[in-house]
Amino acid sequence: MNADRVLKFELSRLNVHLPERRISLKEALESTKPQVATRDGSIHRFKREELDLLAKTVPEAGWEKLYLPILIALDPKLGRGAARITGGAEAKVVGQILGKKSMGEELLIYRPEVAVVRRKLPTTTQYFFVPR
Amino acid sequence: MAAVAAAVAPTRMEFLKLKQRVSLAQRGHDLLREKMDALVIEFFEVLRNIGKARAGALKQLSLAHQAISVCSAVMGTIETRQASREAKRELEVEISTRYVMGIVVPTLEVERVERDALARGYSLHTTSSLLDEASKEFEKALGLLVKLAELEESARAIARELERTKRRVNALEYILIPRLKAALKFIEMRLDEMERENFSRLKRIKAMLEAMA
Repeated sequence: MNADRVLKFELSRLNVHLPERRISLKEALESTKPQVATRDGSIHRFKREELDLLAKTVPEAGWEKLYLPILIALDPKLGRGAARITGGAEAKVVGQILGKKSMGEELLIYRPEVAVVRRKLPTTTQYFFVPR
Repeated sequence: MAAVAAAVAPTRMEFLKLKQRVSLAQRGHDLLREKMDALVIEFFEVLRNIGKARAGALKQLSLAHQAISVCSAVMGTIETRQASREAKRELEVEISTRYVMGIVVPTLEVERVERDALARGYSLHTTSSLLDEASKEFEKALGLLVKLAELEESARAIARELERTKRRVNALEYILIPRLKAALKFIEMRLDEMERENFSRLKRIKAMLEAMA
């Protein structure tokens, strides 16, 4: 039973790094300290260079629709290494970065692509582990 | 199987409980494996960056040492040391954290490493412009070293978490889940056996009753 307790604890802290509330790219660009509060009470800051890269990639009209951090959802149901980006603006921007066409509100990416996205956007993207 | 038999009671209640535990363990295993894969991606990315940052910092340090050697040769060692003692040594570094899957990774941000000659603190009348050049090279090197320190600390933190997660995944995959499945199989077999025993007992009673009638 002790193993179950450890496991439940591990599962409960898998997503503590996620923000309480995501902010739009517009809000982040306007802020002097672009940051979000996370579920465990800490602060996650966005790097200015990344925000500038996103601002160049997304047209100004879309700044309010793009919410940060962009969540890379890792769902065991999708298979090992596959990830999902949800949200129209988010899928579009990740698609543009990868040179991939996004179909509607969702974009499926695979491990090497996840690595590319994380390399280009280390603070403006975050992993999200989808519980079944 | 004997150890399993001693540990679990072969009841339907226990069977249902074990089924739930297997499902939880399987779910945990899948998620932790995803986390491990993501950590490996992060770790290799940081390693790649460390390689680049270290090469850059070493190159810059070599340039800086060359510059200070030239400066010492022209100005004299004692004068160069005196100027270095007079120089201001404060550097404002903003230390914040970023999270990579729950791991606290430091982020160091330096407002301005490179200063102008007046802000350095040593006397401009008694020193050569070569000292300014050398100071500039060292300041550039300092900026690169701060970046390298951030990356190395990140790598260390990610490696620690990776090791921990790998241990958990292996424990689930090779110990907990097989044990739970063995216990589940044992209860299933025992319940089947009990059902068969009941069936033959009923048949025997029925035969006895028929013989008495």
